[in-house]
Amino acid sequence: MKNAFLSSTALIASLATPALAVEKAEVLATYADIAAAKYEDSLTTARTLQVAVNALVAAPSAEALQAAKTAWLAARVPYQQTEVYRFGNAIVDDWEGKVNAWPLDEGLIDYVDASYGGPSDENEFAALNVIANPVFTLSGTEVDARRITPALLEDTLQEADGIEANVATGYHAIEFLLWGQDLNGHAAGAGNRPWTDYAAGDACTNDNCDRRAEYLVAATDLLISDLEWMTSQWADEGAARGALTANADAGLAAILTGMGSLSYGEVAGERMRLGVMLNDPEEEHSCFADNTHNDHYYDGLGVQNIYLGAYVRVDGTVISGPSLSDLVTEADAALDAEMRGKLSTTMMSLGRIKTAAEAGFAYDQMLERGNDAGEALIMGGVNGFIDQTRSIERVVSALGLDQIAFEGSDSLDDPDAVFH
Amino acid sequence: MRHICLTLALVAAPVVALADTRDDKIESIVAGHILPRFEALADGADALSVAAQQDCDPASAPLKAAYGTAFDAWISASHLRFGPTEVDDRAFALAFWPDSRGATPRALNALLADQDPIAASAQGYAQVSIAARGFYALEFLLFDDALSAESDARYHCQLVRTISADIAATSRSIQDDWTASYATVMLTPAPDGVYRSDAEVLQEMFKALSTGLQFTSESRLGRPLGTFDRPRPARAEARRSGRSAAHVALSLRSLRDLAARLAEGDMSNRLDARFDHALSLLAALDDPTFATVAAPQTRLKIEIIQQSVDAIRAAVRDDLGPTLGVAAGFNALDGD
Repeated sequence: MKNAFLSSTALIASLATPALAVEKAEVLATYADIAAAKYEDSLTTARTLQVAVNALVAAPSAEALQAAKTAWLAARVPYQQTEVYRFGNAIVDDWEGKVNAWPLDEGLIDYVDASYGGPSDENEFAALNVIANPVFTLSGTEVDARRITPALLEDTLQEADGIEANVATGYHAIEFLLWGQDLNGHAAGAGNRPWTDYAAGDACTNDNCDRRAEYLVAATDLLISDLEWMTSQWADEGAARGALTANADAGLAAILTGMGSLSYGEVAGERMRLGVMLNDPEEEHSCFADNTHNDHYYDGLGVQNIYLGAYVRVDGTVISGPSLSDLVTEADAALDAEMRGKLSTTMMSLGRIKTAAEAGFAYDQMLERGNDAGEALIMGGVNGFIDQTRSIERVVSALGLDQIAFEGSDSLDDPDAVFH
Repeated sequence: MRHICLTLALVAAPVVALADTRDDKIESIVAGHILPRFEALADGADALSVAAQQDCDPASAPLKAAYGTAFDAWISASHLRFGPTEVDDRAFALAFWPDSRGATPRALNALLADQDPIAASAQGYAQVSIAARGFYALEFLLFDDALSAESDARYHCQLVRTISADIAATSRSIQDDWTASYATVMLTPAPDGVYRSDAEVLQEMFKALSTGLQFTSESRLGRPLGTFDRPRPARAEARRSGRSAAHVALSLRSLRDLAARLAEGDMSNRLDARFDHALSLLAALDDPTFATVAAPQTRLKIEIIQQSVDAIRAAVRDDLGPTLGVAAGFNALDGD
């Protein structure tokens, strides 16, 4: 194996000499440029959401609530395509939970249906309901929540009591505040929160409309500031770009780590397969809005467009440049064809889920026990993601990155320190 | 076929002597490590199903003993998550844990409340949520204070029998696929096969080792440890049946066998010493369910056990991986 590596490395080195050859640094630059564009697009669309949320709160109506929902759905399109930047880039991983944590025990935030249950073994604050409780005790400390501010959400409520399911911020908290719980079980239909949950005076339903509005505004403001921060990390002098480009091989390994970890462990496993195996309609990534088919689709698209080095922005312009695909073609053209083929197959499978869902076969229904057609659709996506991960591993080998990749994600104790 | 005969002849020889080439290692692992474990699982699960047929009372000693033997066999094979275990979600159906959403008691309570007729046969039960199938669901029915004392004894009994029969059927399917085809798949990599080369087969085996160690460190030990300020004894694996620490020992012994077959010479000895160290720390603990994670003194002991497992992980990754010329690759634990 050592010999095989030496020769393949030598081969890459000799191919790297001609003027037309792709430079690793150029591939990293394309990846960072696409990151900057994706996060900027996420920010732009979140600002549109903010305008709609402020309008809803200022003058509540069914139309204003619908406009905010529409803006939320649009904002998810660029954001989901950024998820491929997780796992490989520590700076993204450390931050991501603030904006996209899932699954959540939504009873922490607002009222829930009786079927939700109360505090659980895993989470005693699963039904805290901050909106209804201006003062409460958290891990022995009295919390003053009379004003709901970004700081309260971020510093006190998020992951309260060290429980990840206590999600107080980000897209899914906002989603819950716009749609409410989906009480349709395995039947079609999303959450159906009445617009009057934001109405003034006697028109207010489910109490505390002013505090609910305050929460929604605070969570949206926080999303904006978090996205502003991440966008700046990928700017020309940004820390994320700097970390990526410090070492070319480590940078390439980071790209592939993100592609493989998102494909296999995260989306194929945690988000898709688990839902099918548990037959649980709550196991939907966007369970309030019933937007899960799009979450998966745009995650897959994000992996594909990173490999191909071309991203279509929300204004229709295209950011593109030298790509991982170009680099792999020089090392092993057949492997590049295999990788592109696998990515296309996955997108075809995810497209089937998306089109079926948009035509009325809801993701909830696909998850139901005994629904063979739904299971087949979802497993098509799962198998696509798993299969493409094998090719990503082959790409890691073909580029001679075996001993660099896979090491960034584990925080192991120093073995020498343990034994001395 | 040639390979199978060859390996049968070689099993008797000491591991170290035959671990010369890549090919030898693969044969040693398939014949000496993998196949015996899935055979033990299938046999143990059969015996469990028979015991449940004979007596489904949660208090039955023979039933609990059969449950323990079969569960031991699964834990000893639980790192071998590729090929036959991944068909039709078999491994998930045998072992859904960790269950951070509390799905298992919820699913079992729903079945019991509805007297859901799906439990009439193991065949039908295969459609049920994985949360209500397998060893961890059965543990609730046999050992949980509330779920073992369910008022309707008839339906409870049926559920115990059906889950046991489902475990047996799933285990047998895994065993059948291994002997009928997957052993050959691993022994004969081909350009158009599941594995294209010996290196890809070895990578699969190396991944099983590194992922198994990761799971034991992060889940079996890490979940009850929680943080110093917030230990989580209720999250210990199979604590209701008192098996938490035993699972760590079973998995380490099984992973030590796999590591010995992958490593050579000095490295093999060094790895073995690290496994011995971790196992002796565990043997000295005397806390079968990690219930003492909240007490500073004992907590420290459990943390040190976890560190000793992490030291094995580091050695496997940094020493064994490069020697084999393979890296860990991606695994199912990569998500968050």
